[in-house]
Amino acid sequence: MVKIVLPGVWAEGGKSTFDTEAGPLPEVVKRFVAENPAYRRRLLGPDQEPAGYLNVCIDDVLVPRQARAATVVADGSTVTIIPPMAGG
Amino acid sequence: MGQMVYIPGGRFLQGSPEWMLALLDQADQPFGRQWFADETPPVARELEPYLIDRYPVTVGDFRRFVRETGYRTEAERRGYSLVYGRAGWQELPGAHWDASGGPGVRIDGYDDHPVVHVSWGDATAYARWAGKRLPTEAEWELAARGPEFRVWPWGDEWSSANANTTELHVDAVQTYGDWQAWWAQMCDRDGVVPRSTPVGAFSDRGDSPYGCADMAGNVYEWTGTVSHQYAETTECDPTVRMAFGRYRVIRGGSWMNLRYQVRCSERMHGDPTGWATFAHGFRCAKSA
Repeated sequence: MVKIVLPGVWAEGGKSTFDTEAGPLPEVVKRFVAENPAYRRRLLGPDQEPAGYLNVCIDDVLVPRQARAATVVADGSTVTIIPPMAGG
Repeated sequence: MGQMVYIPGGRFLQGSPEWMLALLDQADQPFGRQWFADETPPVARELEPYLIDRYPVTVGDFRRFVRETGYRTEAERRGYSLVYGRAGWQELPGAHWDASGGPGVRIDGYDDHPVVHVSWGDATAYARWAGKRLPTEAEWELAARGPEFRVWPWGDEWSSANANTTELHVDAVQTYGDWQAWWAQMCDRDGVVPRSTPVGAFSDRGDSPYGCADMAGNVYEWTGTVSHQYAETTECDPTVRMAFGRYRVIRGGSWMNLRYQVRCSERMHGDPTGWATFAHGFRCAKSA
């Protein structure tokens, strides 16, 4: 399993940390959205792919936008979604 | 524009006192205490005298820069920028500083509005051309509220008539759902265009103690400061913590926000690697 961490202000029902299955990064995000459709608008673009403007850290490492398609999230990792404007 | 205000510098406490977080906790707003924790604890700063723009840089100012230098913004080079449409944030092809609602959306009379769709790099390039620089976060906050703490540039009492926030445009917006409903109406009526106002439209009543305008609302403003925690012991939202060391501080909130996001000590953190939106602008500073 991998842990998904979302901004606290996105939390539906007070929860902003979730578990989902490991795998290729885009698939991890899309699987998470399928399991938690309330976050579709936040995480996917109009093409239903992960929104490119959102930054993604796996553990403490920022994954560059151009490298996300080829990135695999290993079991036990934490995926943190960082909006281009954080906080506020 | 280009009018600058002299700030004498000096010592002050940057950030919010604990009572501000307690007040936010009790206020009719949806965010928890941890969300605002990055603005605490107050930290002592000592600043040399400096000058800061009275107004955000306008579309007209930016046009002069582009005409003189041939500069192309990152949004123009990339071919898109972010707008908030009916379905949320979207990368809109053709959106840039002179087409803030995208191609084919003609907006007349915007030359005295703050320029938007400018990345941190674009703002830095403009400032260098103007013989200035972006203000540091500390310079921005001192210019916004003076050496004594105050919630908004004009004082501690909120007035929706003093700043361009969502509350200027509509009453009774408290939740994200309310906001989305208002924004959907605006999109239907006018298209996806910024709800900015001409710079200085709220002067003098909305000005800071030093006479700086639009420091609450209108457009978000880039600063030159790398995002960081005021104290290692502060527990911040994990996604905000990840922005520290990577993002640049953004101040002032915008027309997209409610009153609590346009406070003088409120901090946001923006991706400086080319990201721009139709609500983000900047002002410049220079050492005196």
